[in-house]
Amino acid sequence: MKSLRGTGFSLSLSAATFTLLALVIPIGAQGPTNDKGSPKGPDPTVDLNVGRLAGAPNRRGKNRPPARPTPHYADGRVNLGPFPGEKGMWEGNAGATLATNVRGLDNPAMNLPTNLKIADVPFLPWARAVYNYRQASTTKDDPHVRCKPSGGPRMFHTPYGMEFIDMPDQKRITIIGVGGPHTWRTIYMDGREHPKDLDPTFAGHSVGHYEGDALVVDTVGFNEKFWLTREGIPLTEHLHLTERFTRLDSDTLKYEATIDDPGAYSKPWTGGWLINWMAGEEPYEYVCQDNNRDVRHMYGGPRD
Amino acid sequence: MRLLTTAIAIVLAAAPSWAHHSFAAEYDAKKPIKLKGIVTKVDWMNPHVYFYIDVEDEKGNVTNWALEMGPPNGLQRAGWTRNTMQIGDEVVVDGTLAKDGSKQANARSVTMASTGKRLGAASSEGTNP
Repeated sequence: MKSLRGTGFSLSLSAATFTLLALVIPIGAQGPTNDKGSPKGPDPTVDLNVGRLAGAPNRRGKNRPPARPTPHYADGRVNLGPFPGEKGMWEGNAGATLATNVRGLDNPAMNLPTNLKIADVPFLPWARAVYNYRQASTTKDDPHVRCKPSGGPRMFHTPYGMEFIDMPDQKRITIIGVGGPHTWRTIYMDGREHPKDLDPTFAGHSVGHYEGDALVVDTVGFNEKFWLTREGIPLTEHLHLTERFTRLDSDTLKYEATIDDPGAYSKPWTGGWLINWMAGEEPYEYVCQDNNRDVRHMYGGPRD
Repeated sequence: MRLLTTAIAIVLAAAPSWAHHSFAAEYDAKKPIKLKGIVTKVDWMNPHVYFYIDVEDEKGNVTNWALEMGPPNGLQRAGWTRNTMQIGDEVVVDGTLAKDGSKQANARSVTMASTGKRLGAASSEGTNP
């Protein structure tokens, strides 16, 4: 593979450049090139047809072409970006939740069928009270509205999309989230361990590896200045987050997050949702801080 | 032609745009409002475009209203450019009133009085609270 070192690969990399780069990197065509024994065929826990129909409200419309098989690079690892020569990015699934709340902000058809009901989430009493307050006040206090970065799952149901930039020579993956204060995450893929004394941050410290077609990311070192989800799932600095990103086909990313946070929950729990591919889309400039006039009108109160 | 314009307007108005914040925290879905006024300012900026209109009541009193739309990118997808609406234009806005009692509303659609052209405002209403 041609080395990318010294090519000035920066975080401001445009999707167009990325597409050009994708042409340089030898990428396997769609099809069963994965030599790591990843499961083939449909994911038994997800009904993609349901997801598709449920995705109808999204902007891509009903007339999109059928999904293609999951793309892979030549070395067999899953390609979480566009096919060679194409454009596209993932759509933040704003309607999805980690746990189903009938009164909440969910779009059940896009949530994973294995998700817990909110009543079954193993909240510690204080955490449940915080969650209930955030719901009762229609999430008016969401730090994201104050243009704080969205760590963990919050990034993946934030509007305006995200993209994965895979830099194999540097052994890291950067995830860029469009809908926020210009936010990105770094996933170290070089086998390193988490540092011992981490200063808490919004993104935490992430290390990753592949399991078949899933990118598995392990993160610690979070601060408590954001919500784990749009509807107000709380976290503490004790959070150990495990995320699995499984590209089920060209158009669907399965997102799963396991919350292991003894500061807020009595035991680990898992939830997730499907994320749609927006073919032809590219990231654009979105800066939450530019003209954010919403905060002073965040009245709260009942939903109806 | 008018039929075509109407059809396009309906399609555009139906195109949702997720907000970066809770709609229900800021606006009362049970309080729709229609405002007719003269544009005094357009802030074509993220995270939401705002524009302002002077609305005159039957007694001749003029009140300046703030109207929130979607992000610039969402509006561009819905057929807007940053020059679509100019200061001095007369517009009719269909939207939803702010909960806090301020002279603010979330715009669902904007009709240009001079042409009758109606454009969706990339509102998040009806898609997610």
